[in-house]
Amino acid sequence: MNPFRLVRPRSLADAHAVLGADPRGTTIRAGGVDLMDRWKEGIDRPATVLDLRTAAAAEDARALASLSATATSLAVGALVTLDALAETPLPAAFAAVRAAAGQAANPAIRRQATAGGNLLQRPRCWYFRHPDLACLKKGGSRCLAAEGNNRYNAVLGGGPSYIVHPSSLATALVAFDGHAVVQASPGRPKEIPLGEFFVGPTERLDAETVLRPGEILLGVRVSAPAGARSAYDAVRERRLYDWPLVEAAVRLRVEAATLRDVRVVLGQVAPIPWRAREAEAVLEGRRPTPERLAEAARAAFEGARPLSDNHGKIAVGRGLVRRLLHQVTGVPLPA
Amino acid sequence: MTETDGRTLAPWRGALRVVGAPIDRIDGPAKVSGRARYTTHVTPPGLLHAAVARSKVAAGTVRALDLSGAERLPGVRAVLAVAVPGQKIRFAGQDLAAVAATTPEIARAAVARIEVVVEPTPHVVTLDGAMADGAPRVHEDPVQARRTEGDDPTEVRGGGRVTGNVRPLPAFEHGDPDRAFARAAHVHEAVYETPVVLHSALEPHALTVAWDGDDAMTVWASTQSIFSVRDEMASIFGLSPERVTVICEHMGGGFGAKFGASAPGSRMGFIAGTLARKAGAPVRLALDRRAEQEVTGNRPSSRQRVRVAADGRGRVVALEVVSHGTAGVGTGAGVGRNAAHLYEKIPHRRVRAHDVFTHAGPGTAMRAPGHPQGAFALELALDELAAKIGADPLDLRIAHDRHPVRRREYELGRARFRWDDRRARARAARAAGARVRTGAGVAASIWGDFGRAKAARVTVAIERDGSVHVRNGVQDIGGGIATVLAAVVAEVLGRPVERVHVRYGASTLGRSVGSGGSQTTSSVAPAARVAAERARRALLEAVAEATGTPPGAVTLEAGGTVRVGPRRLSFEDACRLLDDDGIEAVGQRGPTRSDAPYPFPGGGRPQIGGVQFAAVEVDTWTGEVRCTHLTAVHDCGRVMNAKAAESQVAGGIMMGLGFALSEQRQVDPVHGRVLNADLERYKLPGFGELPEIDVHFVPVETDANETGSLGIGEPATIPTAAAVACAVFDALGVPVRTLPITPDRVLAALRDGRAEAAP
Repeated sequence: MNPFRLVRPRSLADAHAVLGADPRGTTIRAGGVDLMDRWKEGIDRPATVLDLRTAAAAEDARALASLSATATSLAVGALVTLDALAETPLPAAFAAVRAAAGQAANPAIRRQATAGGNLLQRPRCWYFRHPDLACLKKGGSRCLAAEGNNRYNAVLGGGPSYIVHPSSLATALVAFDGHAVVQASPGRPKEIPLGEFFVGPTERLDAETVLRPGEILLGVRVSAPAGARSAYDAVRERRLYDWPLVEAAVRLRVEAATLRDVRVVLGQVAPIPWRAREAEAVLEGRRPTPERLAEAARAAFEGARPLSDNHGKIAVGRGLVRRLLHQVTGVPLPA
Repeated sequence: MTETDGRTLAPWRGALRVVGAPIDRIDGPAKVSGRARYTTHVTPPGLLHAAVARSKVAAGTVRALDLSGAERLPGVRAVLAVAVPGQKIRFAGQDLAAVAATTPEIARAAVARIEVVVEPTPHVVTLDGAMADGAPRVHEDPVQARRTEGDDPTEVRGGGRVTGNVRPLPAFEHGDPDRAFARAAHVHEAVYETPVVLHSALEPHALTVAWDGDDAMTVWASTQSIFSVRDEMASIFGLSPERVTVICEHMGGGFGAKFGASAPGSRMGFIAGTLARKAGAPVRLALDRRAEQEVTGNRPSSRQRVRVAADGRGRVVALEVVSHGTAGVGTGAGVGRNAAHLYEKIPHRRVRAHDVFTHAGPGTAMRAPGHPQGAFALELALDELAAKIGADPLDLRIAHDRHPVRRREYELGRARFRWDDRRARARAARAAGARVRTGAGVAASIWGDFGRAKAARVTVAIERDGSVHVRNGVQDIGGGIATVLAAVVAEVLGRPVERVHVRYGASTLGRSVGSGGSQTTSSVAPAARVAAERARRALLEAVAEATGTPPGAVTLEAGGTVRVGPRRLSFEDACRLLDDDGIEAVGQRGPTRSDAPYPFPGGGRPQIGGVQFAAVEVDTWTGEVRCTHLTAVHDCGRVMNAKAAESQVAGGIMMGLGFALSEQRQVDPVHGRVLNADLERYKLPGFGELPEIDVHFVPVETDANETGSLGIGEPATIPTAAAVACAVFDALGVPVRTLPITPDRVLAALRDGRAEAAP
């Protein structure tokens, strides 16, 4: 770790003043979980660390630490911990969000880690994280996973980098319509649709969202149609405290025995939370028969292009989506 | 010193008062309260911190080293070139240079300023690559096998001539396998693979060296063998071993990677000792997790071609295992004793194993060297043959095993585990094509009693205040030997365990053994009993003399009361009759006296058995495997501490579950770097993997030593992964022949199985 300056702002305005002075040299710290990992490995070398948590009590920062919900809307402040998100009773529509937060990491990390930090964490790709290897996202000339050991890398939407987006919470949130609430300077924040917030390596290599230096993520707001339900689940090589091999979130509602407003999102398979639109199309406006659900699960990975070591994700992911569709639609799972 | 001599002391018979009961470990409160001092908690005045510059390339030649950048950094007190120009680099992580500085941060910053020019040469890190024609040679010169106290001491040494990167290990052959295979009615043949896995002790390798003048030093080390650290440091620095004091009060795991002053892939003792001498101050060298996972040893991989054949009456008649595995730049990629000696009623058996050198960190002993790999391939192949000939796997095993205790363990396990029910349920779910399947599997362990005579000198002292003290230089690596010493002495002297004070973990406390080969308890506990019996006798003689009673009329009763003719004295009152020196008695273990109830191959020592039954649940949609229940039926002679023994077996099972389901070292084929040198993508099992565990011990009375205790550390982990793999085969009807059994492999096996079944 390098020597650094720690700043503890007393308000958002304070925080913006510090950020504005040196946007590129300032790193925002919330829970600090991923930041500490990157810092210790020398991937980040922040000159100034801005601890957002000390601003949270101020009047202008109220949104940062608040969690509120109605039957059809959910607002998550960037400083809300994963544990709070998992343990707070939320309307049924947002079950996927609770489940994703509750399955992430381990209890100790969930009590420390924040929603904002989780959405903005950097990729876990072992080439990106290796202190001695210069991958494409760290200024190298090519993606080392593409020609190397890519067991955990992307099967969908990859190239020129094949990272997968690390945030399980993002996978769940993208199953809803919503916005990231971002503030570039004191005053009215801007709202960026979640579908545009996360960006892949063709658009950016230095980050996985559109957030720019100097901007603060205040939180996320999502909504669900009345009567919607959702679910999230993951397949892991280790049952607890493990990054998923594949994860998925599904949101839909059932109207007159047919499926409506279906959204299927895959995680850990692409550089962004991946909308499986082919699967959605199979289900939208149709009756949820076991055959239909199986067909949708197959369609979810339509167009997947595995690398040398990760083709296994496709079959695992199809099985997961199929099981999850049964659970969320209420179609009984076979024994 | 006559009837209590280790050579003639009769083994314990029948029930005992303390020994064998569930006893709380004496180091427990210190550990759970945080009071326990581990190696890196020891901070001598003026302590400096070392860091090591390591090779970033897997193969090459060192051309130049420039240490000046490090030397100029304020806070740096000593800089050392470990590599020299012209030296070959054979794996990423190899030592290049080292520094000692006033803080760990400065030491790391200094290492970053060391410039080493390494001219890279082609490297090879995969088994296939290393065996290919024209592969880069890892070793140009003949290779000396490195052996530690973690290895089976009875294993045949040596190896054949190296061809390319392949070095044959001593072969085993019994009968005429070729002829038997040619005549057999049924032959099963398949290839089984296990990955390189890492010891991953929670406490990384660490060593602190403080010189005391020019000819003496104190070393604090996280080690499985205090005396091997002592002897190696003495040898490196030309000191008398007596002038080297080694201390290991508590340690956080070793599993085979912590013998000697150096880690298998890093000259830690040399580096810390030399830096300390140069700087004139104590130096601590503690590895970070990345180095720990990359250079401190590993369990070699294996690719085993197994052939097993049965005759028309369901008897297994031939078995052959041809294995290739890589221990990186090191040796020892064998497959243990399982195929050679577990099923002795298979008349024709052959095992041929090979080391395949690759440009990766060296393998070393890891909890039952070779055995978990060998067990996995052997037992799964046997089950595949059983399925072909319609035999029950458990019956087949019992029918081919000569060990009477293991045969009994199979039968006990059959009932405790409800084998027949579980197999029937698995069969039904399989036949119905159920989404979620269950399965049951069984596998066995073979290990030997490697307890050694005269290897440990234990002192038992009784003071005038009635206090009892035990001293020995053994390290307690977590198995609980310190508690066993307290229990053994408490037993002999009729004292409560908590009244016996044990000092251990320092070379000044009397010679002892390294904790490898499951030999600690059976080497040290008997010496403690011998010493305690001598102390008891001396106490009674002293009381007799002080009270003018004939020696035969003074006896020690249960509870520690001393009977002097018609009078009874409390233990404390009796001790007040001692002179100021109290009593001090030294004991050593006698030679192994018996190989009953059944000999280890080669004879002269008992064979330790043990069987494990695993139940699994498999989701055939997602490929997720969960081990739901594990029944472990083991033997280790006379159990010394029921609680610690059960815990030891549970730990071995968890370690085996990691090998079965989640652990594998991942190496980048292009750069030769370990990609998961952490505890994040290197997936140790956690609480989510914990099955219901049922541990049962079959008591075995053996005359092997004065306590009748045998080892359990390694047998506890040998059969686990094999049993799980067999259970997965039972659940699916198709085998997963590669460890770890990850979700993608399960689905691939199902897909391949369907393809095979299709017309």
